Amino acid sequence: MNADVHEQARKLIASAGPEVHLGGEASPSANAWLAAHLQTCASCRAFAENAAETIRGLRAIPIAAERSLVLTTQMRVRRRALELQRQRERLWLVSVSCIAVTLGALLSSVALWRGFAWLGERAQLAPPVWQVGFLVFCVMPALVAAILLLARGTHCDSHLADQTGSYRG
Amino acid sequence: MNATALYFEGSMTQESTEIARGLRRRDPDLLDRLIEQYQHRLLRYLVYLTGRRELAEDLFQETWIRVLERGHQFNDKYTFSTWLFAVARNLAIDHMRRKQPASLDGLLNGGETSFDVPATGRASAFDVTLQREQNEHIAAGMLHLPAEYREALVLRFQEGMSLAEIASVASVPLGTVKSRIYRGLSALEPWLKGASL
Repeated sequence: MNADVHEQARKLIASAGPEVHLGGEASPSANAWLAAHLQTCASCRAFAENAAETIRGLRAIPIAAERSLVLTTQMRVRRRALELQRQRERLWLVSVSCIAVTLGALLSSVALWRGFAWLGERAQLAPPVWQVGFLVFCVMPALVAAILLLARGTHCDSHLADQTGSYRG
Repeated sequence: MNATALYFEGSMTQESTEIARGLRRRDPDLLDRLIEQYQHRLLRYLVYLTGRRELAEDLFQETWIRVLERGHQFNDKYTFSTWLFAVARNLAIDHMRRKQPASLDGLLNGGETSFDVPATGRASAFDVTLQREQNEHIAAGMLHLPAEYREALVLRFQEGMSLAEIASVASVPLGTVKSRIYRGLSALEPWLKGASL
């Protein structure tokens, strides 16, 4: 009998555990083969007995969660559930605001475009002129904000450079 | 398949569906119930996986937070316990990766704990002592096994999972699970006989 046969038998025994006589999850033919092998192989029989003993020993080791751990976990989970719910509500609010702002911007752009066209017509301006005016009017708030932010950044940088210089000096 | 088996399979599927529905709603009452139900099984798995009680308790809490956050990913085709153990396992691996770039192997030498081993059954004082000693040897042997073997043994013989379920939790082929159980049991054999390796 070669070593592979024993290893195959032992793998079957290990997978089935102490219920090896019930066959575990192996096929009926594999179980029949194992039963026949165990009849003749003392070392595999000893392995099966040891395996059963080991598994019984394993099952006898109790590890239980303490009540405080369970309560703390339940409390943490509830707190996190509340946080997630608030996050979801905030996200919903932001989404609704974004949609409202987009719709508002679209409607006001159409109204403004018509207003500029009317003004251009009244002032007898060429269409490209009032169109540029419209563009500047739309972009102006963003331009002003960008200039202010840049100025603030430059100011901060120079202030920091002054401080660093005085520290080094 | 007989009628009883079909009945149990049907009720298990129904239970999984109810859990999946509750998890999608992030129902805190359902989570409370699940924490109560799986408290010992999950902690036992984590203690064996990490070999450290304190770390296992931290991961226990993190697992349930993850279950709350990722509950919508639970597929009710599987049993909840399989998914739960997979979540816990991934968290344990993530924890080890944060500490050192490693896989489950890193959990082996992180530190040791001792398992409290009770006396079992109604037997003579001598038998009880002998049994207790043997269990202590096995518990000590478990701590010296590679984490993959420990995991396979715990899931198979303490949690009573099928080989396919273990393969699903550990994300390995069925053959690997069989090999791990076989090698784990073989490695514990000397400890059963009281050898201190």
